[in-house]
Amino acid sequence: MPLWLVFTIAFVVLIATTLGSVWYFTFTILYPLVTPEVYIPLTTGGTLLGAFVLFINLILFVILGRLIALPIRRLTRAANAFATRGERIPIVIPSFAPSEVRTLMRSFIELVGSVEAAHKKDVDTSQVKSDFITTAAHQLRTPLTGVRWALEALEKSELTEDQKALVKNATDKCHELVTIVRTLLDISAIESGKYKYAFEQVDLGALCAEVVVDFTPQATERGLVLASVPGGAIPLVRCDRERVKWIIENLVDNAIRYTPQGGHVTIGCSFGAERVFVTVHDMGIGIPAKDSANIFERFYRAGNAVAKENEGNGLGLYIARTIATDHGGDLRFSPNTDGPGTTFTLSLPVGGPATTV
Amino acid sequence: MAEPTNFVLVVEDDPVLKNLLGHTFAGKYQTLYANNGTEALALFEANKPALVLLDLILPGMSGFEILETIRKRTDAQKDTPVIIVSNLGQASDKEKAKALGANDYLVKAENSIEEIVSKMEAMLPK
Repeated sequence: MPLWLVFTIAFVVLIATTLGSVWYFTFTILYPLVTPEVYIPLTTGGTLLGAFVLFINLILFVILGRLIALPIRRLTRAANAFATRGERIPIVIPSFAPSEVRTLMRSFIELVGSVEAAHKKDVDTSQVKSDFITTAAHQLRTPLTGVRWALEALEKSELTEDQKALVKNATDKCHELVTIVRTLLDISAIESGKYKYAFEQVDLGALCAEVVVDFTPQATERGLVLASVPGGAIPLVRCDRERVKWIIENLVDNAIRYTPQGGHVTIGCSFGAERVFVTVHDMGIGIPAKDSANIFERFYRAGNAVAKENEGNGLGLYIARTIATDHGGDLRFSPNTDGPGTTFTLSLPVGGPATTV
Repeated sequence: MAEPTNFVLVVEDDPVLKNLLGHTFAGKYQTLYANNGTEALALFEANKPALVLLDLILPGMSGFEILETIRKRTDAQKDTPVIIVSNLGQASDKEKAKALGANDYLVKAENSIEEIVSKMEAMLPK
């Protein structure tokens, strides 16, 4: 039965009989009290009938309310379960419910089905991709090992200076390739959720200082000043030390690569609202607004980044952000207000990801 | 009787990688090579090597199975140091190898032969 009909019938029957009873009692009980000269006798039959009608109407009102409220409540519970946990509670469509409510429930069930199908397809594709990367990376590693070991053996033999330089070139590129393969494997592991983080209490201030020391030669070589700004007392943060260090290294490495000679790269570390923030401030070419939405996508490189001589595979920021979010944190960037360049901010909750608390 | 501590057993099916290891090991260790699990276990039984370098992806029996077989022995040889030298390198592989009793785990492409040698030196009896 459609909702309008339910309400119309309910309105006519319930309201009319209720008003009738109220009217009857008003004239038999209340009215004579105010104007005693008008006396309408209260009969037993009338009282019983009036009381009975009021009682039945009350029950009918409650039933009517529940007729609509119950299925909606059921639907709400199912919607919440699906939204928060992705859980699918079976929904029984009650036959007593008004047809609009039943249609709503049917649409919801269909919606959940199609959302699930789309999600499953996404997961499957992602799995295939991830498996492919893992296999390909392993396949690449075996010949790479041969090249690496052979070059290392060659390095030790008697060579002219020219030959030594050539072998060094090959060795360097070979190491680069090894790193790329490892990055690919790490990404596929992180992406498929198979990556196992080793959580411990980490002093991020000290970690930043460590990165500054590691990268100072590289910065000096490029004529840059790399410095860290003290940011007060920083509590220990529950995180995977190596992975977080990797994020900071990547940010600093990027900052150094994109900052022109004579510029500054500054690392800051601060604490607020149960989070520790690590900022990496560069004086580079900046990230154009049109690229800003994609900068954390896999293999994405901003148009002006590709044009520069810089190397980079467009994976660093993607993994960095995935690691940050896996920690319950985030990685963002904003253009500098005090000049050219960008500031990346890594924020990590002190207690680590919520699921492991 | 040959000094049993002299032998190093290398389980590796790639001929090029085997050559390259042999190139560095020449003069340092008496090296035995096995291409697969059957050969490896036979050589292990006959020569009592002081150390095993073990690849994981092999034809037939996997490195994990070889390691398991060695660790299931009841004699003194069951505690022979085993270094996994493989190009599998996921956390799950490392954990599995550790659980089975591997003494160390090196990803081939990530390590120079020198690094492998220094790990071996640390485990070989002096």
